[in-house]
Amino acid sequence: MCTGIEYYVLICEDSMEGILTGVYEAYQIKKDKGIESHDSIRLAVKEPAMQCFFTQYEHIQTDHEKAAKVTDTIARQLGDETWYRISMAMVSDFEDKADAVYHTIVLGLKLHDKRITDRLQEDCVQRTFKCARASENELCHLKQFSRFSELQNGMLYAKINAKHHVLPFLMPHFADRLPADNFVIYDENTQTFGLHASYKKWYLMQGAAFDEDRIVYSEVEAVYQELFKRFCDSIAIESRINPKLQMNMLPLRFRPNMTEFQ
Amino acid sequence: MSLIRQNNQKPIHSSDEHGVAANTDVNIELHTTSAQTIMEKLAVLTDAAKYDVACTSSGVDRKGNGRDMGNCVAAGICHSFSADGRCISLLKILMSNECIYDCKYCINRRSNDVPRATFTPDEICELTMNFYRRNYIEGLFLSSGIIHNPSYTMELLYQTLYKLRKVYRFQGYVHVKGIPGADPLLIQQTGYLTDRMSVNLELPTAEGLEKLAPNKHRKTILTPMRQLQNSIAQGKKELVQYRNAPAFVPAGQSTQMIIGATPESDYQIMSVAEGLYDKFGMKRVFYSAYVGVNEDKALPSVQTASPLLREHRLYQADWLLRFYQFRVEELLNETHQNFNVLLDPKCDWALQHLEQFPVEINRADYAMLLRVPGIGVKSAQRICKARKSGALDFEHLKKIGVVLKRALYFITCNGKMMYRTKLEEDYITRNLLAEHEKLPFDKDGVTYRQLSLFDDTQENAVLFGS
Repeated sequence: MCTGIEYYVLICEDSMEGILTGVYEAYQIKKDKGIESHDSIRLAVKEPAMQCFFTQYEHIQTDHEKAAKVTDTIARQLGDETWYRISMAMVSDFEDKADAVYHTIVLGLKLHDKRITDRLQEDCVQRTFKCARASENELCHLKQFSRFSELQNGMLYAKINAKHHVLPFLMPHFADRLPADNFVIYDENTQTFGLHASYKKWYLMQGAAFDEDRIVYSEVEAVYQELFKRFCDSIAIESRINPKLQMNMLPLRFRPNMTEFQ
Repeated sequence: MSLIRQNNQKPIHSSDEHGVAANTDVNIELHTTSAQTIMEKLAVLTDAAKYDVACTSSGVDRKGNGRDMGNCVAAGICHSFSADGRCISLLKILMSNECIYDCKYCINRRSNDVPRATFTPDEICELTMNFYRRNYIEGLFLSSGIIHNPSYTMELLYQTLYKLRKVYRFQGYVHVKGIPGADPLLIQQTGYLTDRMSVNLELPTAEGLEKLAPNKHRKTILTPMRQLQNSIAQGKKELVQYRNAPAFVPAGQSTQMIIGATPESDYQIMSVAEGLYDKFGMKRVFYSAYVGVNEDKALPSVQTASPLLREHRLYQADWLLRFYQFRVEELLNETHQNFNVLLDPKCDWALQHLEQFPVEINRADYAMLLRVPGIGVKSAQRICKARKSGALDFEHLKKIGVVLKRALYFITCNGKMMYRTKLEEDYITRNLLAEHEKLPFDKDGVTYRQLSLFDDTQENAVLFGS
C-alpha cells in the first residue's frame, strides 16, 4: 500500500516507562501496519522543532504493563548487564536516547546477543553507550559530591542538581551506607525527592511543594561544616596549588551544593 | 600488657537484640568549649599529615551490613579535591604530631618549633562518624608522630581503631600506618581492624634513609612490611577455606617514598618500586615530591621547587608496571637512567622500538594493543570486545576513545595506515611534540635542569626557547 509515508516517529514521555512503552508500541505498530523494517520507525522524547515530510508523528501513552513486559524481555534475552546499560542510557539527558535504546534492543533481540553492548561499531550501540556513559559519570560525581546536612529532628538532608536523572540509582548507594538514618535527597533539576526512613526501603516522590527557607538545621551542623571547611583548607600543600587541576577534577557546576565551597 | 586487657573488655555500647544501632547511643554532643579546641587540633593535625600522599579509599568491596553505618566501594570515592588538585577521600590526620624522632625533611621533627596537638580516641571517632554521615569522606586515614616509643604509639592507634570499629561500629574505610619497630603482635591485632595498612619506606635507598632519617633503619621498616605480606596472604587463604574468617588488611598494603630529597635516579626509584610489587605483594607505591619545609645542610635548598613533573613521570611509569604489563628494564637501564622530559614513558618506549610497529588493530593481541601510544586500558578492552563481531576501522576507533592523533603513527586498520606517515623516530617525535604535548606542570619545566635530564639541550632550547 503506497501511502507516501516513509518514517514513523513515536513520541514518548521522557521517562524509563515512557520509552519502554514506546518500544512496545513500535513492535506493535510494525506488525499492525506491515512496516518492513524497524529502521523506518524512530522514537523521540519530545516534539521535534520542525516536522519532516513523509513522516507520521504519533504520541504514545505510557502504559506500565507494556513497559514491564519489555523490561522482562530485555532482562531475560539480553541479560542484566545489557539491561543496566540500557536503563542508564534512558535516564540520561540526550535527545536521541530513546531512539538509540530502541534500535539497540531491536538489534540485540534479532542477533540473540547478550553482548550486544560490545558492538561499538553499530551506530545505535555507540549512541546508547554515549548516553549511558554520561549517566554513569554523573552518578559517580553525585556519589562523590553530594553533601548531607543534619536537621534539627536528626534527619539528613541533601540537595543535588543532577544533569542526568540518576537519583533512582543514587538512593540504593546511600540506603546501604546509612541504614539507620532518615534521609532525604532532593533533586532540583527534576524536583524529585528520594526518601529513606530508618531501616525501611527507600522510595521516590514527586510533586510535593517545598519551602527551603523553613529548613532548620541542628545545633552542631554549623560546627561540622566549619570543621570540614577547615580540614579542606589545611590539607592543601601551598607550593602545589593548582586551580586548573582542581577545576578539571571537580567541575564548577557541583560546587553550589558542596559544603566546603560555601 | 594493656593489649590483653583490651581483648577481654566488652564494648560499652553494644546494639541490643532488636537491632537498634549503637551509633545512635553514642551520639555525644560536642560542647562549644571543646569544639573550639577540636577546631584548632584539626587544623594542626591535618596540616601535619598532608605530606603523606597516600589517599585512596580503594581496594575493598564491602556492602553495608544492614544495621551499622558504612560500606566500601572497591574503586574508591574521591569526595573532594583540594586547592592543590589532590583528591580528598579520607579524613587524613595524625593522632599526634608530638614526635621523638628528628627526621630532617619532616615538618614535625623533634627539633622544630611547631604547635603540637594530640587527639583523644573519642574525638577521632566523633569526627570520622559525623563526617562520614554527611558524605564528606569515605573513612579514616590515621597516622601519628612517635610518642615515647613505636610500640606505645602503635597501641594508641590500635585503641582508636578498636573504638571506631567495635564501639562506634563504623563499617567504612580505614587506613592506618604501621609503625616500624612496634611489637609484631600489635601490628597483627591492628590488621584485623583496618582495611589498608601502610609502612613508609621514606627514601628509596638505605643510604638516603641514613642521611636524612638517622632514627629510622631500613631493616626496621622492611620487617613489618614482610609481616603484612605474609599475614595478608595467610588471611586470604583462610577466607577461601572458611567464609567467616576475619579479614586481615583486605585492601592490601601500600608504601611511600620521597622524591627529590636525595640524588637517586628514576631507574633506581622504579627498580625499588618494582621490587616492592614483586617481592612484598605491595598494592600501591606512592611517590611524594619533596617539599622544602625545613632548612638543613643535608637537604636541597628551601627555594627548590618541588619536582612535580618528575613525580608525574614516576606515576606514569608506575601505571605501566601495574596495568600495561611493562617491566622497569624496558623503560630504563644503566645507561638511560632518567625519564624523558618531553615524552611520557610509554611513548618514549614506542619510539625506541619502532620495529614492533605498526600494529594491526583487528589482529594484534591485547598486550600489544596496550603498548600503542593513544590506546589505554579501556580502549584496548573495548577494541578486543568489538572486533569479535566485525572489523574495525579508524572511524570506529575514534568513537571507542582511542587518541588517534597519537596512535595513527603506530597502527593499521585492515592493513592500511590512516595517513601516509614514515615509521621513523625523529619524524614521529617532531609531529607528536608539534601537537603541543601539554606538560601539566609548566612552571616546573625549568627546575628540571638541575637533574640533567635533558638529552639534547640544544634541541630543547629550540623547542622551548631558552
